[in-house]
Amino acid sequence: MKPAPFEYAAPDNLEEVVSLLEENEGDAKVLSGGQSLMPLLNMRLARPEVLVDLARVPGLDYVREDDGLLVIGAMTRQRTVELSPIVGEGHPLVLEATRNVAHPQNRNQGTFGGSLAHADPSAEYPALAVALGAKLKAVGPDGEREIDADEFFVTYLTTDLEAAEVLTEVRIPKLPAGAAWSFTELARRHGDYALAGVASYFSRGDDGKVADARIVLFGVGATPVRATKAEQELIGQTPGAAVFESVRKAVLDDVEEPQTDVHASAEQRRSLAAVLTQRGLVDAARRAGISL
Amino acid sequence: MPTPRQIQVTVNGRRYESTVEPRLTLADYLRHEISLPGTHVGCEHGVCGACTVLWNGRAVRSCIMLAVQADGSEITTVEGLATDGALNPIQQAFLEEHGLQCGFCTPGFLMTVTEMLEHNPNPSDEEIYDYLGGQICRCTGYQSILAAVRSAIQKKASA
Amino acid sequence: MRIPNKIEDLPTSTNRFIGKEVERVEDRQLLTGRTEFIDNVSLPGMLHCAILRSPNAHARIVSIDTAAAEAMPGVVAIVTGKDALELTLPMQTVPEGWGTHCLATDRVRYVGEPVVAVAATSRYVAEDALEEIVVEYDPLPPVVDTEKAAESAPIYDEHESNVVFQRTFTWGEVDAAFASADHVLTEKFRWHRLGANPLECNGVVSEWDPADGTVTARGSFQSQVNMGLLSAGALQVPSNKMRIISQPHGGSFGGKGGPRGTIITALLSRKAGGRPVKWIEDRMEYLAGGAGQSWDRYYEVSLALQKDGTISGLRVKLLDDLGASAEGFGAVSAAKPLAAFTGPYKIPVAEYDLTLVATNKLPQSPYRGMGPPPHNWVLEQMVDLAANHLDLDPGEIRRRNFIPKDAFPYTIPSGNDYDSGDYEAALDAVLEMGDYASLRAEQEEARKQGRYLGIGLVNTIEPGVFDWNAYAIVGSQQTGVPEGATVGIDIMGKIVAKVGFSLEGQGQYTVISQVLADYFGVEMSDVRVVPQDSLSAPPHFGPGGSRLGVAITGAVLGAADILREKLIRVGANLMQTQPETLELGDGMIRIPGVAEAQIPVAQVAATMLARSDLLPEGMDPNPEATYVWTAPGRTPADEQGRAKSYLTAANACHLVLVEVDRDTAEVKILKYFIADDCGTRLNPATCEGMTQGGVAQGVGAALLEEYVYDDDGQLLTSTFMDYLMPTIYEVPMTDKKALVTPSPFTPLGAKGMGEGALHTTPAAVMCAINDALRPLAVKAHEVPASPKRLWALLNP
Repeated sequence: MKPAPFEYAAPDNLEEVVSLLEENEGDAKVLSGGQSLMPLLNMRLARPEVLVDLARVPGLDYVREDDGLLVIGAMTRQRTVELSPIVGEGHPLVLEATRNVAHPQNRNQGTFGGSLAHADPSAEYPALAVALGAKLKAVGPDGEREIDADEFFVTYLTTDLEAAEVLTEVRIPKLPAGAAWSFTELARRHGDYALAGVASYFSRGDDGKVADARIVLFGVGATPVRATKAEQELIGQTPGAAVFESVRKAVLDDVEEPQTDVHASAEQRRSLAAVLTQRGLVDAARRAGISL
Repeated sequence: MPTPRQIQVTVNGRRYESTVEPRLTLADYLRHEISLPGTHVGCEHGVCGACTVLWNGRAVRSCIMLAVQADGSEITTVEGLATDGALNPIQQAFLEEHGLQCGFCTPGFLMTVTEMLEHNPNPSDEEIYDYLGGQICRCTGYQSILAAVRSAIQKKASA
Repeated sequence: MRIPNKIEDLPTSTNRFIGKEVERVEDRQLLTGRTEFIDNVSLPGMLHCAILRSPNAHARIVSIDTAAAEAMPGVVAIVTGKDALELTLPMQTVPEGWGTHCLATDRVRYVGEPVVAVAATSRYVAEDALEEIVVEYDPLPPVVDTEKAAESAPIYDEHESNVVFQRTFTWGEVDAAFASADHVLTEKFRWHRLGANPLECNGVVSEWDPADGTVTARGSFQSQVNMGLLSAGALQVPSNKMRIISQPHGGSFGGKGGPRGTIITALLSRKAGGRPVKWIEDRMEYLAGGAGQSWDRYYEVSLALQKDGTISGLRVKLLDDLGASAEGFGAVSAAKPLAAFTGPYKIPVAEYDLTLVATNKLPQSPYRGMGPPPHNWVLEQMVDLAANHLDLDPGEIRRRNFIPKDAFPYTIPSGNDYDSGDYEAALDAVLEMGDYASLRAEQEEARKQGRYLGIGLVNTIEPGVFDWNAYAIVGSQQTGVPEGATVGIDIMGKIVAKVGFSLEGQGQYTVISQVLADYFGVEMSDVRVVPQDSLSAPPHFGPGGSRLGVAITGAVLGAADILREKLIRVGANLMQTQPETLELGDGMIRIPGVAEAQIPVAQVAATMLARSDLLPEGMDPNPEATYVWTAPGRTPADEQGRAKSYLTAANACHLVLVEVDRDTAEVKILKYFIADDCGTRLNPATCEGMTQGGVAQGVGAALLEEYVYDDDGQLLTSTFMDYLMPTIYEVPMTDKKALVTPSPFTPLGAKGMGEGALHTTPAAVMCAINDALRPLAVKAHEVPASPKRLWALLNP
């Protein structure tokens, strides 16, 4: 299990990164934390001609707040996100999602942007980004652009990024004030990719009814799945067991084509997504002090 | 043939300058290029944790990191823990609590526990599980490892 | 020969080390990364091997073109099936005649089968070379479905069918027992493939000396002598020209691999003019093509049951899928349950209907415990079903069927003897430890809240100190298993013990040091254990079959006794007395009761080496002795396979509380209690570690680990991302209690104990799951009881 030969470049500026990707279109691969790419290289399942390491590009590693948004540089290690006081104090859904990413030994090396760009539909961060309506900033030959998380994930391991584009920053809105949130997943073992999972939140109006809700599922499709029918079941309702039960049923309809593999069947994944959504809402309500 | 790269790495306090193929993993570099074979390789795809080393103080899988990525970094391996053969408190705790059997996974556990206790000298059970959950041991069933970690916490606290 | 059966009979007034939780002598090197595992070995001129493996489950090889690979810089030698045909014999199998050469010669029979091997200047280059080799295959229909294997086209031309072995063994009047039973219960069970997966895979460095035709192989070998015989046989090298050096290795659990790697690297070395060739198996090679798959079983089991809960007969029908050959002792695994077929119960008659088939999957290999873990898993579930059928408590039905403690030695229907035990004591201990009544109350309360808790309570026997006789029924040779040690005292009074095995994790060097330190009245640090290669060591086998702790204790005590006699003869000369008046005690050769009449052992030994003028006439001056221990009283198998095979029978009782999540089909282990009795505990901390490690593997078997092949024979669980090893999150921390019923027949009364928890945990967890599921009226009879399987059961 040794990688096939490749050239390695570690430019110290983004322009060079982009031009290397452009010159080697399709044969170059961006290396960020390597937690997904390196196993594929060792197995010779990924065979780039050139590996372009982002680690020497300055200014891609930061967590800050800007205009009420959480702003994370693409090369920020997941562990840095986890330990960031900014995240810890103001972005609980980001923190909880991060704690579910593999193990500390992976989070020490794996990056926030790398996980998003890898776009594994069973991973936590893509679902998180969609749930919070994140904007992803990319730089390419034609300059910089911003992509909505909704648009970013195209299909299994595929994003909207062009071959010579590189993700540089993620801008994540805060949860609405007073929102109830939860991040729930079920994996075969702690730290494994999820069989199914859900990132969700809802906020209430003065009448105590749900004003806004987001339910995003992962592990049950080729991309994170926004459970719009389920969100509709929730919006306008007073949170409670009966409502959460109808949300659970709606999730079954929201999930279209889950995969079957050695660990779970499609039907099981659909059902799990629904159960976890329901349980997540109960947790969210409890954490927000909402009596059910 | 890809262009070999010059790297400088400080391993266990000693500086190494090497010329390596870009594809050489950090684990293979440590084991076979600079003759520090205490870092073991169990799966080569980042799951088992036997190859865990400290990279600038943080525990990482050296089988899914390239040697070239470590250029300019400080690495600590199991060979860097004992001083002149005297076990450090974590190693001593593993010895006393029988926290190992075949010992193949042990270097990875020791490095992980080293980072954990640097990060938090008094970790909760939840934190301990979070860290140890990333290391696979096939022999012990983890109970004696958990005991060793708890003992190491005490030893370091009273040191 | 005096090999003490009790610690009190050692020549020391107090045992300072044996039976105590002492620091292991192996650990300081392991903790500092200084132990020389095989991949640390680097020899001058060494080459690195990579192996091209079959991507097809079943195909004819049309052609192999290695020209491009051979032309690559850094590639030194390439071998194919052609070389294997020319220079080697097929690998030995049990039963005979179901094997292949080390490299596929004309067809491939499983995904992962070695086809071509390359030796190059680095592993990276060797793997590059594999990509330049072109193999043309003509695919054949794969035989994947075990239950249809017998009717499918044979995968070996020389055999008429894929049935490797079929026989029914009958022990007693089984038909009559079932005819007269009040109830007959019959159930089917399925145990999927899983396996050893030590953290270190297999590895070897071979050198074939072209000048004198000797082969030296260093490797992570569990048994040097076994590796020597199997590889010398295949390479057609005289056994005394095959030198095997076992390096310390990172676990084995039986799964360290057969001789293929040794044979292939030896062939490469020969082709490379004798340069050493290293092969380090990687994890994907291990999972698809290594020694990591065991026990692929379909069971149908019947119990004859009386109204009062007495079990009066047992029928087990087993269909086991050996995979593509019988090279890995899979058949032996199916025969091993004979050593404890009826568990701890006085079931008077039994029948074993055993069918072994060949399919296009990886050949089975040994795994800790060999066959009994699945066997106990079905037997204990049947006992639970019987309890449920009669509305008896699972503890109560077991109590009614236990072999009573005064009935030992006890011969079971399948022929083996159990040496000793007190099974009710183990049951009582665990019920008390876990406060069984409160667990039942907790379960009751949970059910009211719609939660499904289940309790598993099982008892098992661990046959210890293996002997090949147990496996005669499937075609194994019937021989004992010797273990030798040479013990010497040097001129400075320090002790050296030479043995024929390396480190594997069980701490046997520590046991040797404990025994000898107490025997000669020295510190453990005064004892050094030195491994010898296969040609230098006394006859040996090494670890395996819950045996080495007992066997090596016997070997060093035997050697120590011979040495004691020598020391006494010399001491008698020095003290001008008769040998009969002297004893060894507390490190002295002394006259009992005469305080000043004593000479230190070290001084006597030094005298032997330094002063030939002071020795008795004709005295061998070497203060060293060798003894080879074999288990006493073992007998060959009769026509029904009945033999006295395993010398000891340890026993255990496990009590576990689980929760099954009705909606997610997840199983969580909430509490776990163990009482076990392995006789005298030579190092209690090691015994506890062995037990806990077995629990972890048992949890893996019950809930996580599984090799999955698709209908084309492709392996779907080819990495550690999909083959799920238990982590600290899944393994329960257990409460343990040690009971001690010393064996009347073994050195110091110890019993084999390395495998017992894996014999027991899968059964305990499964019984608990079924106890939880009972109100839902479904039965889970398949492991691993993964969420996928349980969810399907709960959502039909």
